[in-house]
Amino acid sequence: MTRALTALAALGAAATLVLGACDRGPERSGGGDKSITVVIAEYSKEHTKPFWQGLSEQYTKQAGVKVDLRIIDWNSIDQQLSTMIQSNQPPDVLNLNSFSSYAKDQLLYSADEVLSAKTRDDFIEAFARGGEYQGKLYGFPILSSARAFFYNKDLFARAGLAGPPKTWDEFVQAARKIQALGGGVIGYALPLGPEEAQAEWAIWMWNNGGDWKSGDGWAINSDKNIQTLRFLADLANRHRVTQINPGKTNRTDGAFQLFKDGKVGMVMGFSPLASQLDAEKKVSYGIAEMPTATGQAVTLGVEDYLMAFKKTGNQDAVKQFLDLYYQPENITRWIAAEGFLPVTKSGLQQMSSNAKLKPYLDALPNARLVPTTDPAWDRVKLDVQQNIGLAVQPGGNPKQVLDQLQKNAVAAAGSR
Amino acid sequence: MGRWQALFWLGPSLALIAAVVLYPAVALVRASLSRYSFTGVRQGSVGAANYARLLEQEALPTVVANTVLWVAAIVLVTVVLSLGFAQLLTEDFPGRRLVRWALIVPWAASLIMTAKLFAWIYDYYFGILNHVLLSLRLVAAPVDWLGNDATVMAAMIAVGIFVSLPFTTYVVLAGLSAIPGEVYEAAWVDGASAWRTYWSVTLPLVRPALLVAVVLNVIYVFNSFPIVWTLNDRNPGFAHDTMITYMYKIAFKSSLRDVGLAAALGVVNVLVILLAVLFYLRTMSWREAEA
Repeated sequence: MTRALTALAALGAAATLVLGACDRGPERSGGGDKSITVVIAEYSKEHTKPFWQGLSEQYTKQAGVKVDLRIIDWNSIDQQLSTMIQSNQPPDVLNLNSFSSYAKDQLLYSADEVLSAKTRDDFIEAFARGGEYQGKLYGFPILSSARAFFYNKDLFARAGLAGPPKTWDEFVQAARKIQALGGGVIGYALPLGPEEAQAEWAIWMWNNGGDWKSGDGWAINSDKNIQTLRFLADLANRHRVTQINPGKTNRTDGAFQLFKDGKVGMVMGFSPLASQLDAEKKVSYGIAEMPTATGQAVTLGVEDYLMAFKKTGNQDAVKQFLDLYYQPENITRWIAAEGFLPVTKSGLQQMSSNAKLKPYLDALPNARLVPTTDPAWDRVKLDVQQNIGLAVQPGGNPKQVLDQLQKNAVAAAGSR
Repeated sequence: MGRWQALFWLGPSLALIAAVVLYPAVALVRASLSRYSFTGVRQGSVGAANYARLLEQEALPTVVANTVLWVAAIVLVTVVLSLGFAQLLTEDFPGRRLVRWALIVPWAASLIMTAKLFAWIYDYYFGILNHVLLSLRLVAAPVDWLGNDATVMAAMIAVGIFVSLPFTTYVVLAGLSAIPGEVYEAAWVDGASAWRTYWSVTLPLVRPALLVAVVLNVIYVFNSFPIVWTLNDRNPGFAHDTMITYMYKIAFKSSLRDVGLAAALGVVNVLVILLAVLFYLRTMSWREAEA
């Protein structure tokens, strides 16, 4: 009995010791050894880490504050962040594709608190608006990208097509002619698997005149949207001009892979796909505007964010770090290296001469953003990713899928 | 004095157990009783509400059925195949050492790498499996192994068996080599046939090793994440998830994105595996007592 008790006591003592060692949380503000934690998503193996490491060194030299830099890949960043926040150890600066849930939880500094006026005024208007929550800027634009319509010129020539389709009718005709070439050639690669389904869906939805929201409310199951999803299901099951199981195909290792292999006539791509195609030199491709059913081609613009977490004593350090990144030569050097598009007026001016970026920069005025400013969007996005593919499978029911998504979106809007 | 000295020597491992077993278990239970915001901020205690909500999840029955199938099929087939492989490897033949080494490879390779490799093997357009089956005229048209609802579970189970075989075979092999030669001589003297010898001598004597193999495999396979995660990543919804991948999706990938609910499922997972192992051990010891 006493032995058991002693063992238990020892266990308890050991546990306290270990836990004590783990729990040394945000003690960094005090003392001379200051440091900030910066979490950046990995956009590419070649450019992301070298740039941010260089910037951190420059910052440490200027500000005398050390940087704990963590580059995290997109697959695990949500999980790692959630863990950091659960254990009450958020980063000081974070780069992510969403921000409003963090703003809603009152974890963030607003732009007034950590950005200089010069930096704030340099943001392109639309992107600054895309970072607002309840009228204040919390998600500082870090970079942007735009989707474009890619087509395989060789397959188009073989199918006797003069140029890329402009309307949905022309699109279906083109896809059918390419599919009819036979030999495993596919008209259009449609990725509605969980990886990025919301992006593919948004482009088709907008080009039929539909939208995510109508006014302040969600409108995912509007008549227009049901019509659009039926159109996509028909591409797969009636016209049979897509790859097999489009609801179960992801973008990177599915649709893009097929296009890079020269098997596919058309796909929605973006600048990193163009760089891969240029490097492999296997496919001769063209870039065009999205086919539209409304007469006005719309594309998807994507904006990623930097945000600053409120912690005692970190405001000055964070402000200096952000101001350093937003110096035109720094931000533009990185965005250009990664092959993305600018978010600042000065960057736009510098990059507009780049011929490779021309198709995307031209598309930028007609680019629309998904509703990231609404905290419910973070849930809606995950819901769309996990479910919309079911609608285009054989026997799928587009209306039922959209009704359910709408119901969940309304519930998410009312949840904490 | 002696007692305290023992404690001194036990200290490091006790500390380790406290840090890697006790603390996470306590944290998991605490999380399962809490409410979290989307971002992961703890918003207070909710009692057992997460457990009640877990039972309301529409996907739960499917996920539980998948898990039972996943564990039962892999463990059963693995054990049966391993008995055969181990028997083969106890025989002396030229190149035995090479075969024994080769068998370790699937075990030594990282599960993620193996799963990725199989994702490409199974691929509808580029996969070698369809290529081979078509050339042999075993199928008339290529099969989308990972996209077709009818084949995806079987495809994942096959990979699960592939990576479980080496360990199980080695455990059985160890059991076989522990059987003394005299019992076989006795069986031979009694005029037992090869089958009779296997059934009445080998199998009963290898049972302790089999017991270990089954229990450990049930735990490993139940907890296995990478195979289902990688091979099922293209499929929407929860139709092919096990309780482990479902837990991860609840926490981070589905619109629920709820750490508390996921933690509740985590606690259930731990209990399920504990119960399964206890049940199995009890039936085995009961049978042993009877025999």
